[in-house]
Formats: sequence, structure tokens, C-alpha cells
Amino acid sequence: VFVVDLSPSMAKTRTVKVPSEDGTLTVEMASLEWGLQYVKVKIQEMTRQTDHPHPISSQIYNGRKTDQCGVVTQNILNERGDGYEHVYEYIPIAQPNSNTIAKLNALRATDMCGDPIDALIVAIETQHIYLSSKKTWTRKIVILTDGESPIELDEWENTAQAVNDRNIALTIIGVDFDEDSDQFRYAQQDKSDIKRENERFYNMFASKLTNGIVGTCEFALQDISRPDIKTTRSALMGTTLRIGDVHNKPTESMEIQVKLSKCTAIARPKSWKRVVLRKKDKDKDGEEGSGETEDDTEGQMDVDEGDTYVELKKSSEYYRDSDKSGEDDDEEDQARIKEEKTDYDDARDNRRVEKEDLIKGFKYGSTYTPCPDGQFDRLETKKGIDICGFFKSRNFRRELAMGEVQYIWADPGSPRQQVALSSIVQGMTQAKVVAIGRMVSRDGTDPKMGVLTPCGFEKVDCLLWVQVCVWQSDRRKVPFADDVRKYTFPSLETVYNKAGEEVIKHPYLPTEAQQDAMDKFVEVMDLTLAGEKDENGDRQPWYDNRMSYNPAVHRIKQAMFHSAVITDLTKNPLPAPHPELTKYMRPPVKVVRRTAEAMNNCRNAMGVQKGTIVKATRRRKDDHVLAKDADDEMLLLDSAPVPGHRPNQSYTQSPHASSPEKKRRLAQKSGSDTEDEDDHPLLGEVTAQDPESANVSALPTPNRSASPDLEIDEREEGRIIGFSHPLDDWRKNIAEGDVVSKAVEDMGYVIREIINRPFAERRHGEMIECMREMRETCLREDEIDEWNGFMMDLREECLETDGGGNNAFWKEVCADGRTLSLISKTEAANAGGKSRISESVASEVGYKRPYVRLLLIRKFVTVRYNQVIHLKLKCIDARYRIASPPSRTRRVCM
Amino acid sequence: MAYEDWNEIEDEDKDELQDISWFEGKRDVILFCVDCSESMQESRDDPVYEGVKTSNLLEALNAAIHIQKRKAIVSPADSVGILLFNTTKGHDESESGLETKPNTFLLQPIETINAPKIKEIIHIVEDARSDLEYLRTQFPSLKGQAPLGDVFTSCNWVIRDCASKTAIKRVFLITDQDNPHPGEGGTQLRTSARTTLVDLSQAGVTIEPFFIASEGQPFDVLRFYSSVLPADTFTEDENNTSLLLQSISITRIEELLEQMRVKEVPKRSLFSIPFHLAEGFTIGVKGYGLITEQKKGSYQLFYDAGDHLEPVSVRTTYIDEERQAVAAKSEVLYGTVLGDFAIKGNKEDEGVEPDELGTRMVEYGECPFYTADEVRAFRTLGLEIGIQLLGFKDYSELLFEDNIKHSTFIYPDEDAYSGSRCTFSALLKSMVKRRKIGLVLTLFWQNSTPSFCAMVPQEEDLEENEPGGFHLIPLPFADDIRSAPIEEAARASNQLAEAAESWITKLSLKKESGYPVDSNPNPALAYHNLQLEAAAFREEFNPGTFEDLTLPNYRAMHKRAGILLQTWRDLVDSDKPPSMIAVTIGSKRKMEIGVDETEIRSMYESGKLSKLVVEQLKAFLRHKGENVSGKKSDLVERVAKWLDDHP
Repeated sequence: VFVVDLSPSMAKTRTVKVPSEDGTLTVEMASLEWGLQYVKVKIQEMTRQTDHPHPISSQIYNGRKTDQCGVVTQNILNERGDGYEHVYEYIPIAQPNSNTIAKLNALRATDMCGDPIDALIVAIETQHIYLSSKKTWTRKIVILTDGESPIELDEWENTAQAVNDRNIALTIIGVDFDEDSDQFRYAQQDKSDIKRENERFYNMFASKLTNGIVGTCEFALQDISRPDIKTTRSALMGTTLRIGDVHNKPTESMEIQVKLSKCTAIARPKSWKRVVLRKKDKDKDGEEGSGETEDDTEGQMDVDEGDTYVELKKSSEYYRDSDKSGEDDDEEDQARIKEEKTDYDDARDNRRVEKEDLIKGFKYGSTYTPCPDGQFDRLETKKGIDICGFFKSRNFRRELAMGEVQYIWADPGSPRQQVALSSIVQGMTQAKVVAIGRMVSRDGTDPKMGVLTPCGFEKVDCLLWVQVCVWQSDRRKVPFADDVRKYTFPSLETVYNKAGEEVIKHPYLPTEAQQDAMDKFVEVMDLTLAGEKDENGDRQPWYDNRMSYNPAVHRIKQAMFHSAVITDLTKNPLPAPHPELTKYMRPPVKVVRRTAEAMNNCRNAMGVQKGTIVKATRRRKDDHVLAKDADDEMLLLDSAPVPGHRPNQSYTQSPHASSPEKKRRLAQKSGSDTEDEDDHPLLGEVTAQDPESANVSALPTPNRSASPDLEIDEREEGRIIGFSHPLDDWRKNIAEGDVVSKAVEDMGYVIREIINRPFAERRHGEMIECMREMRETCLREDEIDEWNGFMMDLREECLETDGGGNNAFWKEVCADGRTLSLISKTEAANAGGKSRISESVASEVGYKRPYVRLLLIRKFVTVRYNQVIHLKLKCIDARYRIASPPSRTRRVCM
Repeated sequence: MAYEDWNEIEDEDKDELQDISWFEGKRDVILFCVDCSESMQESRDDPVYEGVKTSNLLEALNAAIHIQKRKAIVSPADSVGILLFNTTKGHDESESGLETKPNTFLLQPIETINAPKIKEIIHIVEDARSDLEYLRTQFPSLKGQAPLGDVFTSCNWVIRDCASKTAIKRVFLITDQDNPHPGEGGTQLRTSARTTLVDLSQAGVTIEPFFIASEGQPFDVLRFYSSVLPADTFTEDENNTSLLLQSISITRIEELLEQMRVKEVPKRSLFSIPFHLAEGFTIGVKGYGLITEQKKGSYQLFYDAGDHLEPVSVRTTYIDEERQAVAAKSEVLYGTVLGDFAIKGNKEDEGVEPDELGTRMVEYGECPFYTADEVRAFRTLGLEIGIQLLGFKDYSELLFEDNIKHSTFIYPDEDAYSGSRCTFSALLKSMVKRRKIGLVLTLFWQNSTPSFCAMVPQEEDLEENEPGGFHLIPLPFADDIRSAPIEEAARASNQLAEAAESWITKLSLKKESGYPVDSNPNPALAYHNLQLEAAAFREEFNPGTFEDLTLPNYRAMHKRAGILLQTWRDLVDSDKPPSMIAVTIGSKRKMEIGVDETEIRSMYESGKLSKLVVEQLKAFLRHKGENVSGKKSDLVERVAKWLDDHP
């Protein structure tokens, strides 16, 4: 029974923090509404499907028929008239249903105060009367109050006695009660005296109870989202374990009656109901709406203005795949739905067939084979598990297990069977073997092959079964070959060159230093002793699957409960997942801290790069090779920092200086005599943090050949936008739809490349056109930050003062006005996106002012440049360690 | 509940589905390109059947039949064709309208696999089996060698004309000539072969060579093919033109089929996702489904259009039943509907059937339902697709019972992150060295459920063709684990356990003994497929010829351990358990009914079974794990049968 306080103070609004996409949002609601969420979720857990002929839906979480509840509210009216004033039995005890929730939704605070003890007494009475014939039921009473109303303290001892006598578990949920426990701390500021007094009373009251607890509402609300495990008792399925040929050799064989039960079984999230907003239909509206069951709940809902959601039912339609291979796609579908049924596409309608007219069959290539029963004769099989043989358990390859695990128990009713099975289990344990078994679950069903492993509990022996596909014991493939796909993979450990010789040193093969770094990393990142201490003070391993909750199952459950108890998700979004759900999602902090150094070393040693630009850079320096000792290269590579890890500062100061290609092009533009000065500071900067870089000048520099035929491939590896027809590529990709981000990124890259090339003027118009389309898409597809970042980069590059840059292009961009400006907050918001650029900055197209506030975005961009350099080094390194590969670069003359 | 139904849960979880759809999504086109040269036609002893002659060509065609038969069932939409080369048999272009270069013969143009076509080659092979000369006369060998460039060009034409554009297109090149163009003019022919091959690969066709070596004549790839075939044939890695994987020649013709089986399904990764080893330390990996339960294909629906069958497709829509309106996908919302309406209590007041009501009413503008995107985010908890390393554990911490479904294999993806391979190798080595497994959090696909996996290293073993990589074994969540329902039972004495151990040891596989070397096909699947094949070929299926290789080898078992088994059995029978331990299961079971076997047997023998009450019969049958449905007479019959079967 829930006892709900409806004192005027419960109507006080409060701000409740709720998470939203970016940070937290606050929502105002009455204390009552807030607290009732607890009641409603609790009731949800009890609600279950009844055997009603029209089961509209069900909430079957933890659903037992025996959970029933009632709600007693204080303060509404005194209907009993016998001294319990302002206490009203609002919902009689019964199995809860949607009405219960609807009624709770209609509760509002009143302007009267009732006495909580009175209400409790009424609750106890009501419950007692209801349960008089059901002695074994668990009795629970929950009081929800803010403790702002006076309590008559006379009777409390008797009441406590009554609660104890009847073995009732009493929970007092206090709105804004102070709490100071390990799990939760809360203290209300400016607490009223009466509340302080009442809190003290409730605590004292609960302490006198055998089963009483006081908790603050906030914690209670958080706690109800705590994942709890539904314990399912597995049914025992009888079958037979056969050893030897029981028919022909009865004396040398054995049949043991066994029971199977599940050891693991995948728990899946409950499925969602599909609903749709029913559009107003004028003809039907009046009569139907008034018939709503919910309508009798205090008349809160105005039918004419309310929205009705209807649950959707699944329906299947059958169509002949006629010769016309062009299937209707979704768009057509959508269009068709809008039309009236009579307007259905005729051809389509002709192809529609009734289910009754269909026959079952199989495909054999393009040959159709009818098979009216839906299956051919089954292989004759006999129910039971046959032991086929044994093999050493160390030869069992764990990854070949395919399904859920089952226990095999000896018949609980027969000691003889128990002893027989136990002897096998013990014998197998002694011999360190597992068995190969063939299981048929019912006569005539398909056999499954699996492995049985012995398992001894404290007082019982059993076998565990798991289905396997193919395992290799003694390196031979046994059972179902069909289940394993044998793909060939290139060797990870040996690399051959084209002449068929093994290559010892190669970027694919870890060097000794790299291997050491990795060994260290694996060593320190151990979880064996990273968990909590147990009772004896010994550290336990981190991660225990008995404590890891399926996030999908519990999050969906939480979301379902939430959506059931609230009426609007915008006003009242779903709270964050319970911490129990996410606790294993990151490595333990302690381990991360401990691992930091080893991890850094390992990461640096490996120098992994996100690899979309590799090929492009390698091509560029293909015919420009400086002799360089591979080991030195390695050193440089080793010490070259990883982007994102290195302090960003130096780059934000002079970001553009670290783009070698651009430099090169600038140099080409302004005459090749300046290039040396340009390049050296650049290289100096890259290696500045490297104490070993004495021979900086020997570093291979990017291709500086001033020849006008830049070896730019039509499209660089990994790019989806090419240099030749960027706009066409763009349109094609955007039309396909799913690669927008990539397209935007690549388009930006291509534009910046092109305008920095010699003779770029010829393509200015084209580039402007590209940019227009790009901006439009960015706005529409919420790639706004990308666009703004790109524009800032472009500006930087165009306006470079040291002789490079493409000032002319920038002027053209500015001349285009708002069609090529940064995307502002306002504009973004109109398109449903977000931007950090203020309207005033955006409107000033040329934006000459510095963008202090945008440094963040810029950092990101400069890091990318840095990657290019790093990759170059790496590729050069790779090249040197392979005997000169043939150049396969295809060149396109610009 | 039938046991099978346990596993047939309606699956909103897309995990498994994705698996399959991926593999069926794209069609596969294979053109067998078989050498008919003199050496391919040469008669040799059949490796399996004594006294039978065969030839490489015959074996190659045979392998082609097998592949087609498999594909017909496993992926019926795939297409296959057969092109012969180095034969003087002329091609009648007018008939098929397909053009090929001289000295090549298109035995079968590329078509969706079908029964008549397969039968056609079966006939050829059968004729050849009875008389090997048949092939020689049908497809006479060319003296010398047709330019390989012409062969590739022919392949290109055939595929261009017949194969669908979007399909995965492959040429299976089968030859035993490791140096087709020696001597003068060889260089030019070599160049032309290379160029035509480039054309072929630009048309999106990959070439899978099957090089047959014979005794005393190894196939040396370096003599010719390594300079002609594109590098990725060997390494599958375009970035490294300089690398060559181990040679791919087949040493014996018997291996041809096995090798082809490996390539039967084009290698397709399930996903390519980032693997985060630590903050800022990410490599790329690809996932492969090496282990999946192969099931019988489910039936399809057809419409009988009189003279032929037409396949039927099913379209699922969601409708507002009352208004008969189809809901557009974009308008569908997800949520809960509030339990059952309180019909019983309110019926008389309202007089409204629940069906006529909407599901839920709220004030205007309010919405208690989620969008599809939100629902997806609940499932993934907002995690990004990828694998997150959480740490390492001892291998011994991975228990047998921590299993719920099949594993996934991962292999580095150098294209996504350069340095992936090197890092991956180093990690693999470190873990193998320390006998460690990794604990990882995975989200493979957009709509899948995050799960924790044990990352088990597999060391590379080239001899056994075991690739290096990690197996990701999904671990059960707390929600998936069921506790043991039985806590106590009688246990065997040491003596009895020893007796059991002795026969167990005898029946254990020793090295190099016992089990059939060939992999056993799933008998139920094979049985089904054979019937399907027979039906497609319009032949009779004779179930008598079917042999189930998974049945225990009783003869060997009893020969080796018969006496030990008997000793053990006698001991079990004579064993007096310390005390009767009968554990009752469940609290709601009806009273225990005596199911004493000896008593029931004696009643049976005296013909008084029908004197027993139904409950007793049922209890007995239930105890024996038999079906308990039906009338009393059925039950009596079933008990009698059981007693007959178990003397």
C-alpha cells in the first residue's frame, strides 16, 4: 500500500535536473509529481499481463500475479468520518493496471493537511482486511511525504507495534530529507523547523520497527533504476545419456536418466510497442473520445484537445516477384501510403497474392523445388545424448563453443543414476578429458554435436554441455564442417617480398623495442588484482560477469518504465543510466593511472596513424629520394609524437607553418629560390622536441621539384572527392547520402589543395560553386562545425602574408556574401543545428577579426597537418626498408 | 515446452541477422577457367579408388560440380560459368552469341546456378569416368600454349556479357603449367598477359589461382605467375606491392577441392571497426565470422502460376487496425502501453471494448514515446562502434561455462590505421607469451547490443593454416547466468570412479588414432540437402544410402572398452548408495508418485499395466524423459514400448 502525502506543500515546484544531449537541463515539477514517479515505477514493476481476452499490452517485468497494491492518500477528504480526517482510500487494493497509473497522474495536492499516522493506520487496516485470508503474503507499505505537515505523535507507539505485529515492511520516502550514507549524501538548506522535527520523528519511528527504513526521495528515484536480476528457475528437461550400444550390447553399455537445465541463457531486452499518433478524424471524434477509460480520472483530460496514440499491429502482405526486377523502394512506398487505398498501383495490386494460395518450397540455384510440408523427411534420430569419445581437455579450443551452456544432472529421484553419473564425472576429471557428445533433444530432431565437460559442485557432480562446431583435437577436424568458414589470411609473422624471399625488417613486423614496449603494456594493464577487496582483504580480479549487467536490457527497461509514468518526454526526459550499468565500460581508473607510462611508451613506439593519407604522401615523394639510414629514420619515428598527445600550443601559434605540401606550393608560386629558407624552419620545428635530431638537415624533404606537372592523382587514396571533377564527385556522394561527413572533409581538403596550386585562378569559379554546395549541405546535414573549421582554415591559407596565399580567391569568397559566410548560431538553429559563431561574426563575411573563441576548432585542424608530416616520415621509413619498389604512380597533368 | 523452441526467440537483436544478410547481400560470380593442355588430360591413378583412372582436368571439372552443388543450396543466387582453354575445340558463336578468343571454349556461360546445368557437367564427368578418352575427344588439347593474355581477355568478355555489375566477380584459374611462355617471344606474351589481367581487375574481377603441382614437378610461382598476377592475389594488401604471401600452389590434385572450398565463399569481413587499446591509442581491425552454425535454409513461399512457380516476397507493414491505415515508417514511435485496461471493473460503467480505444491519450502536444533513434541509443548506451580494451586477465579465468554464443575472429586492418598490423602482432605475441586473455567491450554494429568479450589470442601456425589473430568470445552478463537448480546428489565411491576412469581413458583419442580424418558434414543438413538435390534433379532419393557419420563408432568402442564398461556397469548396479538422496525440485509439483521400475515392469510382464492410474503412468514416462501426452491407452503403449526397449 502506498500512502501519499497531499499537503499543500507537496505542490511546491522544484527544479529537477535531467540529462539532455549537452549537459543537463532543468525541469520544473511539483514535489508531488516528482515523488509519485517512484510510486509509479514501483507499480510498473508489479503490473503484468492478465489472462484477459483482449490483452492490449503488458508490462511483464518481474510480473507475478501475486503483486497487488493499493494507494491511500492523505488529505483529500474524510470519508471514513471516524477520526481519521483527511485520509482517503484513493485506489483500493487490487492488481495494478493502466488505470492505476492514470489515476495517480490525476492526483494533485490539496489545501488540507492530514495526519500521516492516521493515514498509516488506515493503510494497515485496509491491508489487513484485504489480506485476512492470505497470511503468507508479503506486506509492504510505502509512505511518500515531504514532512512539512504536523504529525500527531500520540499514537505512534501503538502504530509501530501494529506494523511489527503484522510483519509489515515500511518504507518512508521523504522528499528532501537529509541523507548521509555511503551511497548518497543530501542535506537541504533552509529546512523548516517542522520538517526537521518530522524527519527526526520518522527516523526514530523507523528505528523502532523490525523492518522500517527512511530514505530520501532523490536516492530512491535513482535506486529504482538500479539493475536487478530476474532470477529464472530453469525447467529440468528429462533425457537419456547413453554410453555404448544399448541395443546390441546391453551388458556393456549404460543408459543414465538425466535432466538438462540451462546454465546460461541470453536475456534480451523487452520489445517495444510501436505506436503512431492518430490523426484527428472529424467524423469519429466525438462519440469515441468520450468513451475513453481514462476519461473518468477526475476529468483531467480534455478529449477534444488530447492526442491519441494507437498501437500498431504487424501485418504481412505477399507479392509475386514478377519478371519486373525493379522493386519498389522505400520512397515509392511512402508515396503510396499517402494515397488512398483505391489508388494503389495497379501492377502492384495484381501481384498481390493471398497467403492461402501459396506453397512452400526451396530454391536450388535458380531451380524451384516445391516441398509442401516446408521440410523434407527428417533424419531418423533417437532422443538422448550419445557419448562418442573423449579427448584431452587442454585440446579443447574455447572459441569453438557456439551456444548457450547447459547442465546435465543425474535424475534427482534415483540414487543409482546419480552414482553412475558421478563416477563418470569423477573419472573424466581424473583423466583430464572432455567428452564428445551427440545430442538429440526430441525424437526426430536434428542432432547437435557438442562437448561435455565434468563439473563438480560442493555436494553434487554434473556435466556441462555446449554445442560446438568443429574443433581440432590432435589437429584434426571433427564434427560439423559446415559451421566453420576457412578463410585465408596473410601471415602476421612472416613477410615475403616479390622475389619470394622472407623480409626480416618491415613496418609490419614489430621490432624488438616495439615488442618490449608492448610486453610492458600487457604486463601492467593486468586486471587480476585490480578489483575490490573481499572479506579477507584480498584483492579480487576486476570484472566479474555475475556483476555485469546487460546495459541494453536494463537501460531499455528503465526507458520503458519512464515512458510509462510520465506524459511528455520533452518536459521530463529519461534520467541517466544507473552507475551500476556503466561501471565496467572503462578500464578501472587505478589501472589506467598505473599504465600511463607503459601505455605512452607503447603508443609512441607503435606510432599508429589513422591511415587515409598514407598513399597520397608516399606518391608525392616517390621520385625524390635522399639516402638515409633506416635506423636514424626509426629513431625519428620513435620519438615523433602522436597527434593529440603532444602539447598543442606550439601549433596553434603557427599552425600553417607545419604543412609541408602547402609550403612547397607556396614556394613554387613565389619562385623556387625561397624554398630552402621556407623548409628549414619547418623541419626544425617538427623535430625540435627530439634531442637526437642532430642531423636534421638530412631529413628527406617533401618533393620540391618545381615542375608544373604536379603528380596529383585524380583522387587520392582514401578520398572520395577527386581533384579533377570535385563537384561531380561531391554530388554523387551526397546523393548516396551516408558519407556526408567524409565528403565534407574531403571536399574541404580538395578545395584547399586546388586553390593553393599554381594557376589556380582558372578554377576559382568552380571552387566557389563547390563551396556553395558544400555550405548548403553542411547546414542541412549538421556538419556546421566542419564548415566553420574549413572556412577558418581557408582564410588562414589564403591570407598568408609571407608571399604565399591566394588573396584573390579569398576576395572572391568574400564577395559572395552570406552564401559563403561562416554559419552563425541563428542560422544553425533555424536549420536545427548548433554553431558557436555569433551572428555578428558570421555576417562580416571577410571576418578580419581574430577568432579567439574558435581556437578549439583550429587546434583540431592543425593537428591534422601535423599528421601529414608524421606520416611522411613513416612512409619514407617504410620505403627504405624495402628494396626499392617500382613506382606505380599515375600522374595527371594539371 | 519443446526444447527447440528455446532458441527460437523472436530476435529484435540484429546481431545474428546482420551476419547472414551480409553474406547473402552480394552475389558471387565464379568463372572456372580450366587448362585443357596435354598434361592436364594425362591419365593417372585415382588417389582414392584403386584401379580407377582420372586426370587433372576431370578432377577440376569434378571440383566445379561440387562447388556448384554447394552453392545451389547455400547461396542459390550465385552464378557460375566454365571456360576451358588450351583446347582446339571451336566455339560456335552463333549459338550463344558470346565471343571468345581462339583456343578457348566456353563450356558453360555464366548463369545463375540451376539443376539442369549441373546435370550437364555431371553427364560429361560420368562419361569421362567410364572412358577417360572422352574428354580428349570432346576437348582436344592444343599443341603448345594459348597466349595467356587471350585467356584473360576471354574471361573478361564472358564476365562482361553475363555477370551482373554489382556482383563479386572471380575467376578460378586452374592450371598445371608454371611457365606457359618460355623462350623466345615469352617476354611479350608475358607483358600482354599482365596488361590483360590489369584490364580484368579494372573490370572488378579478382583472380584466384589454383596451381597444380604433380609429383616430381613442383609448381614454381616465381617462374611466371608472380610477375603477372597482381600483387594482391598473394597478399590482399594493395599498399605493399612488394610483398608476396606464401606460395599458393597445390601439391596434389586431391587438394583442389579442399582449396576451392576455402575460397568457395568470397572472404568478407563482417565489420571494420576501431580497436581502442587505450586513450589515443587506436588501431583498425576487421571482424570475420569464422564460426557460425550452418542451418538448413528455411523454406520460401511460392505462388503456383500454373505452369511454373513464382517466388513470393513478404512485406511487413504496421497498421492501425481499427482504421486500416498503414503507418509510415518515419511516423512510428516506440514506447510502452499501459498494461491492461481495467476491463473487469469498468466494463459495465463504460460499455466500451478496449479495441475501440486508442492506446494512450495525453494532452495536446505531449508525447510519451521515443523515436527510433532514441530507442537505438538505449540499446547501445550511446557507445560508439568499436572495441575497447579494458585490461588483461589470465587465460585460466575464462571458464567453460562462460559462453552464450559463437565467437568472432579479428584481424588487423592496415588500411584504416597504418601501424595496425605491427601493433596487433606485438600484442598477440605478448599475450601468447604471458598466457593472457584480454577483456574488451565491444559494439560491432550500430544496432547491436554492447557486450563484454574475452579476447583469446590464436598463435599463427602456417603449417596448419591457422591464421594469427584474436577470437572474441562474448561473455554472459549477470542477466544470462542461471544458477544450478540441484545442490545435492549421491556421489560415486572412489572405486567406482576409478572403474569409470579406466574405460574413459580407453575411449580417449590418442594422437594419430580413432576419429575419421575427414570432417563430418552435419548429418541432418546433409540429409536435407541430398533430398533437395534429388528433388531438383527429379531423381528418387534413397534414404538407405545415407550414412550418418556422427553416430558413435560402437564397434570400436566395444572392442576397446567393452569389458571395462561391463565391469563398471556391474559395479554401479551393486553399489549401495550411502543413503537415498532424493531432491525435490520446484515447490509446486504435485505429490510424488511412486515410479518404481521393477514394480511397473512386473505389472507389465503380468499384463496389468492398465491397472495403473494415469498419473502413475505419466510419472513413470516423465521420469524416463518420454512424452506424457495422449490418452491412457497411448500412455500404456508407450510404457510398454519403453520397457521393451530397455530390457
